[in-house]
Parts: sequence; C-alpha cells; structure tokens
Amino acid sequence: MGTFIQLVVDGLAMGSIYGAIALAIVLVNQSTGMINFAQGGMAVLSAYFAYALLGMGLPLILAILVAVAISFVLGALIERLLMRRFESGDPDTAVVVTIGLLTLITGIAGMVWSYNNLQFPSLFPPDSFSVLGAAVSWRSLGTFLTIAAIMVLLQLMFQKTKVGLALRAVADNPKSSAFSGLPVGRLLMIGWGLAAALGAVAGALVAPRLSLTPGMLDGALVYALAAVILGGASSPIGVVFAAWLIGVLENLAAVYVPFIGHDLKIAVPFVLLFVVLLVRPQGLYGRKTVVRV
Amino acid sequence: MTLLELVDVTASYGPVRVLEGVSLSVPEGGAVGILGANGAGKTTTLRAISGVVRTTGVIRFDGDDIRGLRPDQVAARGIAHVPEGRGTLPNLTVRENLMVGAYLRKDRRELATDVDYLLDLFPNLAARISHNASAMSGGEQQMLAIARAFMAKPRLLILDEPSLGLAPSTAKNVYEAIRRLRRESGIAMLVVEQNANLAFSIVDTATVLETGRSVLTGTSAELKGRDEIRRAYLGG
Amino acid sequence: MPKMKQLWSNRWVRLGVAALVVLILVLAPWNLDPATNQALARVGVFAVAVLGLNVIMGYTGQVSLGQIFFLGLGAYVTAYGVNEDWNIALVFLLAVVIPGIAGYVVALAAARLGGLAIAMVTIALPIIGVPLAKRLSDVTGGSQGTSARFTSAPDWFGADLDDIWQYYIVLAIAAAVFVLVHNLVRGKFGRALAIVKENEAVASSMGISPYRYKVMAFTIAAMIGGVSGFLYMVVVQYTSPETLAFHHSINLLASMVIGGAGSIAGSLLGGAYYVLVPNVTNEIDPTLTALIQGVILLVVLFVLPGGIASLPRVIRRLFQKKDGGGDRTAGRPTTATGTLKTH
Repeated sequence: MGTFIQLVVDGLAMGSIYGAIALAIVLVNQSTGMINFAQGGMAVLSAYFAYALLGMGLPLILAILVAVAISFVLGALIERLLMRRFESGDPDTAVVVTIGLLTLITGIAGMVWSYNNLQFPSLFPPDSFSVLGAAVSWRSLGTFLTIAAIMVLLQLMFQKTKVGLALRAVADNPKSSAFSGLPVGRLLMIGWGLAAALGAVAGALVAPRLSLTPGMLDGALVYALAAVILGGASSPIGVVFAAWLIGVLENLAAVYVPFIGHDLKIAVPFVLLFVVLLVRPQGLYGRKTVVRV
Repeated sequence: MTLLELVDVTASYGPVRVLEGVSLSVPEGGAVGILGANGAGKTTTLRAISGVVRTTGVIRFDGDDIRGLRPDQVAARGIAHVPEGRGTLPNLTVRENLMVGAYLRKDRRELATDVDYLLDLFPNLAARISHNASAMSGGEQQMLAIARAFMAKPRLLILDEPSLGLAPSTAKNVYEAIRRLRRESGIAMLVVEQNANLAFSIVDTATVLETGRSVLTGTSAELKGRDEIRRAYLGG
Repeated sequence: MPKMKQLWSNRWVRLGVAALVVLILVLAPWNLDPATNQALARVGVFAVAVLGLNVIMGYTGQVSLGQIFFLGLGAYVTAYGVNEDWNIALVFLLAVVIPGIAGYVVALAAARLGGLAIAMVTIALPIIGVPLAKRLSDVTGGSQGTSARFTSAPDWFGADLDDIWQYYIVLAIAAAVFVLVHNLVRGKFGRALAIVKENEAVASSMGISPYRYKVMAFTIAAMIGGVSGFLYMVVVQYTSPETLAFHHSINLLASMVIGGAGSIAGSLLGGAYYVLVPNVTNEIDPTLTALIQGVILLVVLFVLPGGIASLPRVIRRLFQKKDGGGDRTAGRPTTATGTLKTH
C-alpha cells in the first residue's frame, strides 16, 4: 500500500509536468492553430535562464520568477517574429517551423551551457513524510500542488478577467474579434507568452529531478503530446487529467508490470492510446476547424 | 455632415481585383444600403472599410483617412462591423459575446444598462443569456451579432446581409429590431442586402453595385420602382 | 531560357542526359578515394530514407517524425538475418516487409485521428525505439549494437575494392527505389495523394478516402525506410540503438525540407545534406552543429520553403518578374510540405 501511494504521488508530480507542457500546447493551439513541438525545448531554455540567474547570485525563488518573466517576453516575441507568418497557412508547415525552433533552441542551450548534465536545486526539501505507511516526497507533492495551483489560477484568469475573455474570443474567431476592436496580434503574443511562462515553471520544477541538459524535456514532450491527443486539443481540463492519468499509470506499470520496467514505461501512454482507439475508433481528437469569417 | 465617405475605392484579393471604383457616402445618423447580385462586391466594400482587404482610393470616416488601418483600429474609430455569417463566437456564452462587443469601452458602469436594453430588445437572447452562442438558431445568432456590435456604442453600424439564410418571418423580425435600434439611438447604418425590399424598409438611400462598380445611386423612393433594380439583380 | 525548354522537351535529349548521368555515376568511384566513395554511398542510403519520408510528408502532407525508426528497424532486421546466415534476398525482403508491417499498424491507429496526430504519434517511435532496442538484447545486441559484415567485395570483383562494391549495391538499389517512387508519384496514386494533401474534404467527395491513402502512403514510407536500413547495414555494417535516436529523426526531417519536400531531386539533395553538412559543421565546432542546423532549417522555411530543389524555379520566376510580366500563372507557392495546402 505504501509503495502504491508513493507511486501515485510521484506519478501525479510527473503528470503535472506533462500536464503543464500539454496545457501550454493547448493554449498555443487554441490561439494560433498550431501544435508547438518546441514547447518542451522552450521550457528547458527557461530552466537554463534560471540556472544562469542562480549563478549570478539570485536566490532560487527569485531566479525562477525572473526566468518565468523572461520566458513570457520571449514567448511573445517568438510568436510575433517567427510564427506569425505561418499561422494562417498549412498547420503541418507550422509544425515543421516549430521543429526548426526546437533544433535552434537545443543548439543554443548546448552552445552556451554545453551538453553535460547540470545540477539544479529544488524549491522543496529532499525529505519525505509519512502517510499511511508510505514515504511521500516533499518534492513530488510540492510539484503537484504548485502546478495544480497555477492551473486553477489560469482557469480563473480565462473565465473571470477581461484579458482572459479576449484570449478566448481570439481563439474562437479572430477575424470577428478584430471587428469588435480586439487587438488580435497583441493577444496572440500574450497567449504564446503565457504558454512559455507555464512551460518555464514546469522546467524549473522538474530540472532538479531530471538534471539540466538540452534534451531534458524531449521525453516529457512525447507524454504531453499523448495527453493532448487523449484529452482533446481544445479541452484544457481534459488534457490535464489525461496527463495526470498518464503519469500515474506509467509509474504503476513500471513497478507492477515487470516486462515494462522503468525504461519502457514511455510506451504506456501509447498503449493506452491504442486501447482507447480500439474502443472509440473515431478517436478523441479532431482537427479544430475554425470558421473564418 | 458626412460620416463615412468612399471615393473611387478599388479592392483586390492578391492579384484579383474585385472592386473597380466604388463611391458612396453615409451622413451622420443616416442609413445607406448597398444592393447588388451575388459577387457584385458588396461584402468586399464593407471589408474595404474595415481594412481587411488591400485598397486604393479614399476612405474617410468623420473627416479622417482610415484607409490602411487594421480592423481593430477601424473598430476603435467607432465603426462596428457585423460580418457575413454573423461572426459569432461559438464557444462563448451569449453574455460573453456581448461583453466582447464592449471590449473597447471605458465606461464599465453603463455596460449593465446597455445589456439590459438589448436583452429587452431581443427577448430570445435574454432566455439564453448563459448558453453557448453555438446552441442558438441562425436568427438568434444574427440578433446576437447585432446586439454585440451595438454594445460597442458605435457611430456607424455596418451590416453584411442580415437576412442571409433566415426564414422570411425571422428576417422580418431582425429588421424590425434594426429599425427600432435606429429610431431609439439615431445611429448611422450601412447595410448590404440582396433582398431589396428589406433594405428599403430601413435605408434612406442606396447604391447598386455591379461587378465591382457603383452603377446606380439614389433615394429609396427613387430606386424602388426602377427597372434597373431588377436588371442589376439579375445581371442583365 | 525558351531554347532550353525546347531542348529539354526533346525525348532524345532527355535520354542522352540520363545516359550521361548514369555513366558518370557508374564510373565515378574508380576515380575517387575510398573515403569519398563511402560518403557517396551514405548519401545514397539517406537519400532513400528521405525519399521515404517524402512519400508521407512531401507528397501526402503528413508530418512524420518516425522515419528513422523504420531505418533502424530495417537495419536491425538485416543484421539479425545476416548473422543467422539467411539468404540475402530473404533478408532484404524481411528488411522491407517487417518495417512495412510496423508502419501499417501505426498508421491504422494514427491516421484515424486526423489532424496532426501522425506527427504527434510518430514522435514516440524513436523515443520508444531506443529503450526497446536496448531491452531486446537477445535480438539486437542491446546497447552494444550488432555488426554484420556481408558486403566485402567478392574475389572476382577485386578483393580490396569493398568501398566500390558497396557503392554499386547502394547505387543499384537506390536507383531502383527512386524509379519506382517516381512512377508511383506520377501516376494515379500520386495524384490521389496530392488531392488528399490539398483538401481532404474534396478528396472524400471524389471517392478518395483520405484515411486509406494516408495508411498506404505511410506503409510505403516505412517500407522504403526499411530499404534504407538495409542499405545502411551495407555501408556501415553496424547498428545500435543510437541509429534510431530522436535527434536523427529531426535531422532527417530537416534534411527533407532543406533538400526540397515533395521532390525526387529534393530527396537526393536531402540525403546529401544529411551526410555532408554535419561533417562540415563538426569541423567548425561540434557544439555549434545543432545551432547551425536549426538556423539553416528556419532560414529555408522563411526564404525558400520549397527547399534547394526549388531554387531553379524561384530564380526563373525572379527573372520573369524582372522582364516586366507578372507571372500570374506561375503555379502555387510551395510550403515546407510541398505545394500549398488549402483547408
């Protein structure tokens, strides 16, 4: 029982990371109609920013917050300067551009900080506390709660604030929103900025565990994409729950299904996807058709 | 006092020219119609005003040159555009659609009053205020689109084919609401319509387009009986 | 320029040029050193891999990040078969069929999802493939990999002319694959793919099932990937989990785009890019390789979306514009997945 709880909590923690990246992907997809394959890479770059700020003497929490702010700006600039051109075109071309971006970001990170694994400190203490015979790690619990709290805040922002309404309107029908005076371009930049900031939080929270290296979130990206497929590219809540489910299931499978083990657990979300498709052949995700006025 | 003025406006989608030289003007508080058959360039004329297509010529609003402005900048000048197909925000509720319409307004306190006024004018919307806009019928979405445009408290309302796809009785209801809006607010209107009779029920003057050019302009009274009207619609 | 067009449309001229090219290709290795021949052979290997990717990406418009997986699978099958002393023709067949089956199964699921699902699912292939290759060590040799030497030149050819022998094997098989694909793409199948890529709704209404064609295209791409895996073993004679690593997958995709998506010549250029450019960038500074490649890919996407293969066309259009005529019928602009998709 103890092991089970531990695995679930750890799974929720990693699932939160996948969920944060997946949510960022959904955010970008909703507003600009493309799947950003560089979302994980951007999050890693943000973690490197925090690392650099730490090196300059900033306390950890401040380094992370500043890195998040920088990432917001960077995300906005990437949308404006790089992606804007490809938003109204073929989504597959846009994906290739994001893959180019991923390569570029990985290259920059590798050039500046090398490809070696770097140590990144955690916001939470390394100990565990006891619950029902299980040793629950503070780091896992902390990661899960932090990201869950941020997701709730995001949801509140989208539903209750004017800028949130504007972001949703632009995602729904950008041309028509412009007719109501919404500054569509600026809102798209904000959307990408938020996604980048969200990724930055995830990057900083998971870096202590995975150790900082340019390809740190390549695996997580795959999980995040699986969560997006399972949860539906237009459903933020569905995607987050799918991510948590994937995180927990892969952990359980790694331990309770000896054949899978820790190295093959990455196959779990795709086996899950396969099973879902057998039951629901039409799949859970359809391309979002935007009726442009 | 002329509110909106178009002089010799051309418009192109890429290399294809759609408007060859359209001129019209809308006086303060006036209502002008744009008539013509399918493909004549009526919608493109509205798009030219809103800055969605590339144009040459003169487009002046309240004395200022607005040609070349982005759509949201044109909206900020006081022009509310209800596009063809309504431009509904399907995944937002009716109330949220209205609030989007009021995006540029600074007087947050008046908003509630305006919402009440519009819900009174359009009882169907009141019934569905918290439902997603996608769950409504075509007629209801049209009314929502008009209400949303009105929330911006614009000086000029431009409407693209309000009766499109609606049953005759629904279209009549929509036009009645538009008439009432005009009466009670004195707002200026520019209406694109294929259904000439409906158009004449609210506009004072109209211009007829044929293959991207204005071929006939006059008051409703003058135009109503003309053979050319029938000819312009049937294209020959 | 018109004179060149006239010349080119003459069948005999085309045959003559083709014969000349073949002659050059066949005679070249005798005049070059082994290292260059090796490099050329590798170009052939990855040109085939890129060609396979083009079938699903360039011609059908579906982004796939899994092509390297099929190359790796083909290589592993080849290595296993050779080490078990099976008939080489059988080994080749298996190297084509087994990846084909794998591709078919993946496509069955992924193509149903529509949208960018094929991209999102294929990314898992190399990422799952690497630990899988390490795990199934009985068959794959685990992290160490396996070698298989089977392409030493026979005595009648010349005992120490291995590199030339391998070059010819790659040349022959690659040429065959290129010709096959060229005919496939020019025919009914290729036209159907083009319609599916352009607009799936239109394709359905014409009785062309986008789902079926995507599955077929993906399967073919996987089979061609298997062939490239076989050829990989011919030249490199060693494979390991590293062969199908994720970053190779991205490089292959980038090479396809830079060479020219949806183009036969582009596939050749892509193969050349894949093999030759990293050599150059590694000379400059190994840590800069990823950065330079990212920059090149983005520059191509912005400035020359049809890849290097589209350069002649672009230059021609520039000159036409200078001559004062607006080229209104110049055809649709190309994007990174071939000609423009409208949705």
